[in-house]
Amino acid sequence: MFEPVLLRNVGVPDGHLLATYRAGGGYQALAKALHEHTPDEIIDLVKNSNLRGRGGAGFPTGMKWSFVPKKAAKPKYLCCNADEGEPGTFKDRIIMERDPHQLVEGMAISAYAIGAETAYVYIRGEYTLAIRRLERAIAEAEAEGYLGKRILGSDFSFVVHIHCGAGAYICGEETAMLDSLEGKRAQPRLKPPFPAVEGLYASPTVINNVETLACVPHIVMRGPNWFRGIGPDKSPGPKLYCVSGQVRKPGLYELPMGIPLRELVEDHAGGPPPGRKIKAVIPGGVSAPLIPALGLDVGMDFDSLAAAGSMLGSAGVIVIDDSTCIVKVATRIIEFFHHESCGKCTPCREGLNWVVKVLRRVETGQGAPGDLEQLKALCNGIFGNTFCALGDGAAMGLRAALAHFEDEFVAHIEEQRCPFNEKHAGRELLGSYG
Amino acid sequence: MVSVTINGQRLDVEAGSTVLQAAERLGIEIPTFCYLKRLPALASCRMCLVEIEGQRRLQPSCATAIIDGMVVRTNTPLIDETRSSMLDMLLANHPLDCPICDKGGECELQDMVMAYGPRESRFRDAKRVFHSKDIRLSPVIIMNVNRCIQCQRCVRMCEEVVGAVALGTVEKGMDTAVTGFEGSLASCDQCGNCVEVCPVGALMSFPYRYKARPWDLAETDTVCPHCGTGCQLTVGARKGEFMRVHSKWEHGVNRETLCVRGRFGLDFVESRDRIKRPMIRRNGALVPVSWDEAGNYLRERLSGVESKAMGGLASPRLPNEMLYQFQKLMRTVFRTNNIDCSSRWSTPFDALGPLVAGFYTRAPLEELIGNDCVLVVGGNVTDENPVTEYLLRDGARRRQTGLLMLSARPSRLDADARAVLRVRPGSEAASLAAVVAGLVAAAGQASLADVFADLGAATDGPAVTPEDGGAHRLAVALMEGKSVTVLVSADLLRSPEARATLQQLNNLLQLLRALGKGPAMQFLFDRANQLGAWDMGVLPAVLPGMRPVVDVAARTTLERAWGAEIPSEPGADFEVMLELCDSGQVGALYIVGSDPLMAYPDREFVKRALGAAELLIVQDSFLTDTAGLADVVLPAAGYGEESGTLTNNEGRAQNVRKFREPAFEARGNLVIFDFVATLRDQVLRPSTQGEIFDEIARLIPSHQGLSQDQLGPDGAFTMAGPPPPAGEFFGPPPTPTAADGLTLITGNCLFHNGYISERSEILNTVADDPYVEMSARDATQLGLSDGDEVVVRSAQGELTAKLKVNRHFPGGLVFVPENYKTLRLNSLMRRREYPCPVEVERAQATFEIATAAGPGL
Ligand SMILES: Cc1cc2nc3c(=O)[nH]c(=O)nc-3n(C[C@H](O)[C@H](O)[C@H](O)COP(=O)(O)O)c2cc1C
Ligand code: SF4
Ligand code: SF4
Ligand code: SF4
Ligand code: SF4
Ligand code: FES
Repeated sequence: MFEPVLLRNVGVPDGHLLATYRAGGGYQALAKALHEHTPDEIIDLVKNSNLRGRGGAGFPTGMKWSFVPKKAAKPKYLCCNADEGEPGTFKDRIIMERDPHQLVEGMAISAYAIGAETAYVYIRGEYTLAIRRLERAIAEAEAEGYLGKRILGSDFSFVVHIHCGAGAYICGEETAMLDSLEGKRAQPRLKPPFPAVEGLYASPTVINNVETLACVPHIVMRGPNWFRGIGPDKSPGPKLYCVSGQVRKPGLYELPMGIPLRELVEDHAGGPPPGRKIKAVIPGGVSAPLIPALGLDVGMDFDSLAAAGSMLGSAGVIVIDDSTCIVKVATRIIEFFHHESCGKCTPCREGLNWVVKVLRRVETGQGAPGDLEQLKALCNGIFGNTFCALGDGAAMGLRAALAHFEDEFVAHIEEQRCPFNEKHAGRELLGSYG
Repeated sequence: MVSVTINGQRLDVEAGSTVLQAAERLGIEIPTFCYLKRLPALASCRMCLVEIEGQRRLQPSCATAIIDGMVVRTNTPLIDETRSSMLDMLLANHPLDCPICDKGGECELQDMVMAYGPRESRFRDAKRVFHSKDIRLSPVIIMNVNRCIQCQRCVRMCEEVVGAVALGTVEKGMDTAVTGFEGSLASCDQCGNCVEVCPVGALMSFPYRYKARPWDLAETDTVCPHCGTGCQLTVGARKGEFMRVHSKWEHGVNRETLCVRGRFGLDFVESRDRIKRPMIRRNGALVPVSWDEAGNYLRERLSGVESKAMGGLASPRLPNEMLYQFQKLMRTVFRTNNIDCSSRWSTPFDALGPLVAGFYTRAPLEELIGNDCVLVVGGNVTDENPVTEYLLRDGARRRQTGLLMLSARPSRLDADARAVLRVRPGSEAASLAAVVAGLVAAAGQASLADVFADLGAATDGPAVTPEDGGAHRLAVALMEGKSVTVLVSADLLRSPEARATLQQLNNLLQLLRALGKGPAMQFLFDRANQLGAWDMGVLPAVLPGMRPVVDVAARTTLERAWGAEIPSEPGADFEVMLELCDSGQVGALYIVGSDPLMAYPDREFVKRALGAAELLIVQDSFLTDTAGLADVVLPAAGYGEESGTLTNNEGRAQNVRKFREPAFEARGNLVIFDFVATLRDQVLRPSTQGEIFDEIARLIPSHQGLSQDQLGPDGAFTMAGPPPPAGEFFGPPPTPTAADGLTLITGNCLFHNGYISERSEILNTVADDPYVEMSARDATQLGLSDGDEVVVRSAQGELTAKLKVNRHFPGGLVFVPENYKTLRLNSLMRRREYPCPVEVERAQATFEIATAAGPGL
């Protein structure tokens, strides 16, 4: 059994309270960081740990921090991305609900490392329990001197503000998040300048995911080598996997990076319901292209999944069994992206609208010859040409569905109906978590 | 420099240049929608994607800075396909109602589809429809959201260039729509720049709606007649009927921008109060007569007043040639130097002359704003010279120009300024003196001791101590600037303290020059050809070329060229002319294109004085109040009915062109001057516009070498003479008397700047009702609130208008725009008193409201 790191307090009663957290050794990492390390040493620790961002892109965290200019006329900011908008993803929520101090401590150490005195947590508005618990944790930490002025007797002062999102997926994209924090309409910004140089209020800013930040205290306490020893060297560490869909034991699993997808789905999550076979798995939230059953031996880490034509993304693992219509899955996913497109760029805004119209027709048995070619052409027009990764993700997912399950699409058009319709009322898909 | 290769062609460009800019220089066309030269790149339309060697994805050329050695391709099958695909997607939901779209024929989407689009669309689903009826966003703007391609050019233009932030974007994805706050344009300037930059028929001009097809329009490039910014614009007329204005994207001081007056305020040419025929006064009334009859009458009257003084006033909106000919007529035929060119103030030339000669910088404003420090003195540039304001905002936001404001009136530009010094009206001279003193202090005596040894020789040096915090901050900012530009609102000339203000400006500029800040200076005139009028010598003490009348050499040169004598003594300015009239000493007063009865302070006096002139001749295209007093009224060609040149604030001479024939029996101004000269049995040579231009170019040094054919779409710059040797350093100004009460100042508002704007139906529709502006504090103290009818009362008279509470106003300040005919503001004002002390109170209700209805109601 893998000994949980990030979820260590999750099963503990009152795990969200400071007393519990402290009893388990909480805030020792902060004390250690402040008293024994310079900020640069912390950055080096994180660099050496090979920690990569858990928000989706897998960017090396230590390297991101090192882009922040050492001398800047403006204040620096840390932003914690707790928007967790990716369908199939619920890991950050559990951290914030069950062990919020882990995040607070992680933010404090990270802010110390980059020289920020202010952090904003951009948190998904629907996460009401998480918001309450994080607010409470911040208050507790302030009262005990883990936040505020001259923390633990050091020169380091640091405050955390919570900002609740209003429900747009695009706010999870880091630069759109900055616009939203500034009170503007959230749309991704042009890069360069990168946020590390010109981010929030045009000041140097680091944006990290909740899980990324939660790893930091452990790296400080146990050292980078311990962290690198878990999973593949280039993509190491304990990892939270959110398993949902048609499996017997959906839920949040903490396991090493790089474990085979098959092991995760079949052993840990119990495999498909009785009598069903796995048809495909989406390994990293709906932005990640699905992997057909044949490919389940892939390792769940950034590099292995990329090599397999998909991505780890937010590690939202969605299992699809053979009772489910892929055309329907593809349609729902594209409908999501279409709804969440911020509207800035032509291919995503206009292209997805067109795609949705065609897919809905195909799904409901009104497809026409040429529709599949049109869908492929639209994917070509969208993929690689959008302003941010949202549009790309949508096109990639549809491409994968078309590539691996073209026969299902063809059947819809030829039969002018959904072949799964009688067998399957179609509510379960994506509906088994939350 | 970095090098780039595009489609095999190599080019060296400045570091930081984008691929798009480099391609443009190589003549390689890259299609764009969201890109707009003067805005930061948005990179959202994805039309401009190109292949860059070593990059996995296509890159937006509008936002990709060149890295040395970059290899770019724009002509590959992938690019063709991508462009076609973007257009295909844009067309999918586009209504394709081109046949009834005003943009049809000049639509960028249409053009782009023809050039790069798919031959046929495979879209066969239902289109998205936002609304079936177009949305009227403002009196001048109508919107069809269905046609919008989301380039956001309009929104960015409105926010970043105009500074109005009236347009915004709501919703997301396919529901994204451009609109105003709650569906209307609350803070809108009605400038129409959003309409201008909209590539498709989404934002449209309401006045032009369904009026014409672009290919039916005869287009004429000309210059805006309203303010001294002198924007280039293109008039579209159909069969001689005025249809619309649009801007010429690459040219002039303004490029694609205009303000509301330029874009929508040209319909005054169709105003109904044109003077149709000559008129003479018979039995107390003006009666229409033929030109011949008017000539006979005028000949007779003129010979009857020969022994008395003559005087002339011409509008600073008239083209140079007309102004030049007018002063020549006055000087050589009527043998007088009594000429002036402002119906609102008289100009102390003794202070103005050295300032202009020493510092006026005849160069593109764009260049002046490139200086890292720009001080704007007086006025309200947002309202008076809107397009100048856009450029200043651009400087402050994108070129790191440090903007400094010194004025009594707040303006929108204050928000972009590094420092604002709000001065009490009338204390501009003192404030400038404080800035000068602050600058001396900021510079540290050590380095300046020598400077002042030189300058101080003339006077005692600046005597004001820099106690004023604001002045000190301004001085420090000026000191920090490497190069300084000073822009001066002509508004300052209103004050009886104008002389002192000009002198202090001179001190400041001399000091800046001594400090090596190479100061540049321009005036911000609110009249299209004010600088031209000065250049042409329409001033009592100045000959063409701004040379003093008393300058014998200058006078002789002109006398020789003109073959006539010029009176050797400086003449009377308009103020003095009026006084001469009033005391019965004026035989004939000749007023061209000007309406002093509306504009000059003390309406009663002006009326009496004009009435006391034995013969009042008014030559105008509109029946002004002044014309109503005239003995002879001569109908003149209006704007667009004769060609000439205007000189804008930058000193840029530009062609103002004819786009239709003079209306009714009106004649060209030059023709009328000839006509009048003939009545005195004289001829003015040369007499055609082109020949006069050539004479100007020959005789006026600043215009030397110009030829009218060379005034291309950007005009041509007149030249400043060599700066005279450092002049005297003027002593401190009189200390302004501190007034406790409210003081009234005036100026232009955004929608109006004089009697032509008042004749624009569209401007009258969009302009606010006549209003009085004051601070929230004063209003509260007086128990007044926004929208109340209030009475403004001076020692001289009173007016009633709506109160506008302006939270940016300083206490004590009351502003009434000078442009509303109905207000008769000048009946409140006294001569030689400005600002004007006033009281403000709630207007008496005109009807009683029934009080205290009984219970049970
Ligand atoms: C459309 C879109 C949505 C995203 N949503 C999230 C999100 O909900 N949470 C998150 O942490 N990162 C999200 N990201 C990734 C962030 O942009 C960013 O990469 C991340 O927050 C960086 O943190 P990390 O380096 O710790 O992963 C999203 C990215 C895109 C393009
Ligand atoms: S791809 Fe374009 S439209 Fe889609 S979310 Fe990103 S920026 Fe917005
Ligand atoms: S007219 Fe001018 S101020 Fe009004 S919305 Fe358009 S750009 Fe903005
Ligand atoms: S209204 Fe016109 S300018 Fe504005 S976003 Fe739409 S297409 Fe672009
Ligand atoms: S700024 Fe002046 S010249 Fe330009 S359009 Fe406006 S009124 Fe005309
Ligand atoms: S012009 Fe470059 S993306 Fe629009």
